[in-house]
Amino acid sequence: MRALAGPAMMLVIAGGYLVYHLSSKEDAPSRDFTELEFAGADYQHTGSCYSLSTVLVTNRFFSDATRSWSSPREGAWTLALDSIVQGNGGPTQIAQKFTFEKDGDQVRLASVEASERLPTDLKTNVDALLESPRALRSTPVERCQKEGATGYLFVAPRR
Amino acid sequence: MRIPIIAAILLALCAPLTGCKRSLHTQDVIEFVDKADDAARKRFAPEICGLRGENFTLSVNFQGHEERYPPSKFEMNRKLFCKEAGKFSRLRQYKLERKSMDIDLADDRRTATVKTEYVETMPYYEPDVMPATPDDFREWQIVETRDESVVGFESGDLVFLSTKSDSVQTLTAKGEITLPYD
Repeated sequence: MRALAGPAMMLVIAGGYLVYHLSSKEDAPSRDFTELEFAGADYQHTGSCYSLSTVLVTNRFFSDATRSWSSPREGAWTLALDSIVQGNGGPTQIAQKFTFEKDGDQVRLASVEASERLPTDLKTNVDALLESPRALRSTPVERCQKEGATGYLFVAPRR
Repeated sequence: MRIPIIAAILLALCAPLTGCKRSLHTQDVIEFVDKADDAARKRFAPEICGLRGENFTLSVNFQGHEERYPPSKFEMNRKLFCKEAGKFSRLRQYKLERKSMDIDLADDRRTATVKTEYVETMPYYEPDVMPATPDDFREWQIVETRDESVVGFESGDLVFLSTKSDSVQTLTAKGEITLPYD
């Protein structure tokens, strides 16, 4: 019985750590969701050639904002960005919420909420989100890696 | 031989619980605010952040130097506050003076309301200009702030639970003040 006391204690500690780790972990979409191709803002929702994760990571380089994820419904995730910028009247808070929704093999920008004077229309935001991966020449999704492949605002370079 | 070991383990396990039961004294609060001010003077974000509770909020009412603009009003959660504290470390010249402090302990001695007045002096970097060096500024900003904070215990440690901050910013020419680099 005494021989089991040590392992039992270790099991309790490991279990406690696991419960703490799982309960304190912030919500975030799975890789299956973020690896989907981000859809363009045109009527046909042409694929942008960039995965959502590429779009988010490249935009992060240009942002000082805090990020938090929540899921408003199944198959949809909302990314909340908050930051403070210095203006002529002092510091100002900028808040944006982007809701992305899975649709087949794509993920689409479904809605945008933002602080005053920031655009909330989908086309402007989709185009703005795609500026960073294009500027950084990020790796496109597999289907767009072929010569001459096209996507929303995307043409694969000729080799 | 085994009883002292078991007693020691039980005492160690109970320690965090006893922390929750501690009652607050004025001296605790004074020492805590001194520590927080020192962390701010060092501009060391992990320490500044560590003195804020998990659900800390900062309500800001900031009147900028241009009076034609209304004051900025917003609320930061802990995450955003800590991110901003990180930016604070970029400053190379900074002075924080506490002008007054008034402590009001709650009847149950679990929390206290602290009213403080501060004057901060630091370089003013114009919003649309990217400074090439830390010395690349033309004016100092002097920010006079009245804070009202609630402090209390969280996991046995004294932390800021919330702060309401009223600030007024004025500018003065660079030659008027000398502040050492630190």
